[in-house]
Amino acid sequence: MTTAALIHVVVSGLATGSIYALMALSLVIIYNATRTLNFAQGEMLMVSTFVAWSAQRLLGLPLLAALLVAVLAAALLALVFERLVIRRAIGATHWDVLILTLGLSLILRAGSGIVWSHDEFPFPSFFSNRPIALGPVRVAPASLGIIGASVVLMLALAVLFRWTRLGRAMRAVAQNQRAARLMGISVERVYASAWVLAAVVGAVAGVLVAPVIFLSSKMGLVVINGFTAAVLGGFGSMPGAVVGGMLLGVLENLAPLYLPTEIRYSVPFLVLIAILLVRPAGLLGRVERRKV
Amino acid sequence: MPFVIRCLIAVALLAAAPAAAQQGVSDTEIVLGGSNSFSGPLAFTGEQATKFGVDLYVRVVNDAGGINGRKIRTVFYDDGYRPQDAVANTRKLVEQDGIFAVIAPQGTPPVVATLDYLGQNKVPLLFPFQGSPIVRGHRYVFSGMTLYDRQSKMMIDYLVGPRKYKTFAAIYQDDEYGKAFLTAFEKDLARHNLKLTATEPVKRGATDVSAQVAKLQAAKPQVTFLVLTPGAGAQTLKERQKIGWTDTLMVSSGPLTDERYLALAGDAAEGVEGLSLWPDPVTSDLAGMKAYREAMQKYFPKNEPNRYSLSGYFAAMLFTEGAKRAGRGLTRENLITSLEGIKGWDSGILPPITIGSDHETQRQGFWVKVDKGRFQQLTEWLKSD
Amino acid sequence: MRVRAALAGLMLILLVWPWMAPRYFVFLASLVLVNAVVAIGLNLLSGYTNQLSFGHAGFLAIGAYTAALLTLHAPAIPVVATLMLAGLVTAIVGLAFGVPCLRLSGLYLAMATLAFGFVIVEAILNLGALTRGADGLSVPVARLGAWPLASDTARYYLALAVTVVLVAGAMNLTRSRVGRAFLAIRESEIAAQASGVPVALYKTLAFGVSAFYTGVAGGLFAFLVGFLSPDAFDVFLSVDFVVMIILGGLGSVPGSIVGAAVVTVLNDALAAFQNYRPLIFGAILIACMLFMPGGITGAVRALARRVTAPSGGRSCPSSSAA
Repeated sequence: MTTAALIHVVVSGLATGSIYALMALSLVIIYNATRTLNFAQGEMLMVSTFVAWSAQRLLGLPLLAALLVAVLAAALLALVFERLVIRRAIGATHWDVLILTLGLSLILRAGSGIVWSHDEFPFPSFFSNRPIALGPVRVAPASLGIIGASVVLMLALAVLFRWTRLGRAMRAVAQNQRAARLMGISVERVYASAWVLAAVVGAVAGVLVAPVIFLSSKMGLVVINGFTAAVLGGFGSMPGAVVGGMLLGVLENLAPLYLPTEIRYSVPFLVLIAILLVRPAGLLGRVERRKV
Repeated sequence: MPFVIRCLIAVALLAAAPAAAQQGVSDTEIVLGGSNSFSGPLAFTGEQATKFGVDLYVRVVNDAGGINGRKIRTVFYDDGYRPQDAVANTRKLVEQDGIFAVIAPQGTPPVVATLDYLGQNKVPLLFPFQGSPIVRGHRYVFSGMTLYDRQSKMMIDYLVGPRKYKTFAAIYQDDEYGKAFLTAFEKDLARHNLKLTATEPVKRGATDVSAQVAKLQAAKPQVTFLVLTPGAGAQTLKERQKIGWTDTLMVSSGPLTDERYLALAGDAAEGVEGLSLWPDPVTSDLAGMKAYREAMQKYFPKNEPNRYSLSGYFAAMLFTEGAKRAGRGLTRENLITSLEGIKGWDSGILPPITIGSDHETQRQGFWVKVDKGRFQQLTEWLKSD
Repeated sequence: MRVRAALAGLMLILLVWPWMAPRYFVFLASLVLVNAVVAIGLNLLSGYTNQLSFGHAGFLAIGAYTAALLTLHAPAIPVVATLMLAGLVTAIVGLAFGVPCLRLSGLYLAMATLAFGFVIVEAILNLGALTRGADGLSVPVARLGAWPLASDTARYYLALAVTVVLVAGAMNLTRSRVGRAFLAIRESEIAAQASGVPVALYKTLAFGVSAFYTGVAGGLFAFLVGFLSPDAFDVFLSVDFVVMIILGGLGSVPGSIVGAAVVTVLNDALAAFQNYRPLIFGAILIACMLFMPGGITGAVRALARRVTAPSGGRSCPSSSAA
């Protein structure tokens, strides 16, 4: 294995990892604001990407416009579901919401199969597949493009949470819902915003990853990797989601290079379990100290 | 009426009752069914093989009057590729729905899970859409797809013989499909005193194959077998394009050689060769293929012809041939006999079919190469015996 | 009193079911029993001590393969002993896994169990020499002494007998000191610890018992289905079990049984809807959760409260709120 090949594999892993990171961020955004886990995150991403794909084919839209369609579709889907279903379930435990989102994921996946069939479809990419040579190393623009776009999105999120009112409101609700309400923050609006924001991040991830893993009704399963990444990095921590995602992507790619086939697929999970044993709150997570 | 007389009448009526009828065959219809994937990893192929495959041909047959005066009715249940659901569904079909035979179920684990039950209950299992040789040797089972060991034999004999290749590697799906091919390849290469220099597994649904492709490249094989599903196959080809690995011949296995991976891989598929199990569903002008396309256009105009629906269509066609030959007094036993007796039957789609007591209905394949986005035929039908 | 009569009636129906129902529904009833045992096991862990598990398909797989391999290589062992051994092996794995997981909570634990499920299935796939890996393993017919349990009815009675014993065990457990400790841990781990409940011990015990139950169910599963393959034990099966206990009612043994029955029968009934099946199932889940938060048990309790307070007065707030 030459160094050049190794670098290519690592870069490719970082690209996949960026997608995992975006998925993890979506999950964390909703979790932080609402303390619920959205089982349907992957399927929402998948449906938004399908809608964009259909729009692009029917109307001949340029790819950037299709991305916008994906984002709008995601936002609409999130808003509708949050209002119609999740809001009704206020007062429900997080177990119940888990089932609600699980139900949604089943409906979206089967529904997508009915509307578009369960076939796999190529999705146009922003980036070319032809490798560019950086010295002896060949890197795919697609990988760099995904990493770059993801980083830009992550920075945008960081700015949002740090410097905008909405971001501050979301952080407040994440810290202490009751206190936030007492400070005049509309918790309902924060809930809805969290859902929409997470869906939008997912839609971008979907449009970025669809050219690589192809558009299909099972595309949403990538959320499991997102969940793993989020826990790895420390669930609830956004930098943690990013670190966890990148780490997971690279681990998944390095394992086949150095480990026998029997254990290479278990490695990400074994690493996760190992990390949780040493740091129960994940790599960057803060251990919650509950005062009695 | 005195009790004794009533008893005698009852006995007389019982004695005059017709002999126990064949399950699944009534005066007016024959009931076929199967458990298949309508959800889960193989939902697309499952739906195509049943609703747009078997059912397509059934419509053609029923519109033409049926088989010896009986129409065919089909019942399909979803098992999501879970063996335990396949078992439950199959039992329901046999015990509650009273099917005559199981037709075109999909996948090795779901199908193998039902083998014992169907054998014990003497229900024919016809033309499952899977290629593991494990279905050989069961009286009530007739294989569908050309079995993997036959495919491997054709592929290896062709590549080592006329094409004179010596070093081989394989990237394969980490399940029974991939592993069955791997075992078959190793056996067939051993006959030529060769072996696989590198093998790399890919998990179903994997997002990244760069590591596997990099390792295969390092092994420098002349030929690399792709034993994958269309998505992973296309990913592998695109990855190869990314790293500029041009000095290997990529060869796709039978199940992979279809238009789906071509559509996904785009120009990364140029020059890829493979074993094709069917004529080109879109361009072949064989009589049976034209009829298939016409039927699709008539009944399901929005559905495009593809090899999965074609395999289901063919399964129903073969059943119809066997049932026709068995005549009006159709039973499971004489269906088996008449299927076994099929010799040199021209379907207009595949080379002449001869079945015999080994119950293998398909043994064919021919070599193709991808040229400008379509498969070009390179050889005649290869021999697998 | 009415409850006792209803239970007796239920037991009677269960006993004569093979004579009342066609073969397929005897098979289906056996599946319900197996799922009920798993659901009870899962509920003991997740509903009682609040340790959410998304990996119970892994425990089921361990139990199933253990029972299958024992019957294959040591057919002299009576079937009940085989089931107990399957449960025991699974319990040991559960304990081994549960101890390090004590420090984990909530989603971290859930993720760890999900990882566990994957690792187990991978291991089964790779220990091909033992488990026949991806090709799958045919399970020999179980024998009760000299009798082969070759009919649906025989297997049904085996499942019924085992289930009845395990249900009784679970009811006893939940009513005992241990059960109260479990509930205390669920309400507030800190308060329980402060009250002198050895939390770590009981949480580990819950893992072991839960794994034991699921392992025994795995053995029954193996005999019922007759064929095992890694494809059967994916994460979606684990999710199915979680659905059963949430639908049925967390922290309730009868709830687990009802939840298991509903999900199993529903899944079976929907198979005819082919590609609409997950859609309808998902819609039913949403409807259930919107109208029955707290699951079926919660709804029944709410109904009971309304029935026993007919004068319209507000009854005392329940202390076992979900």
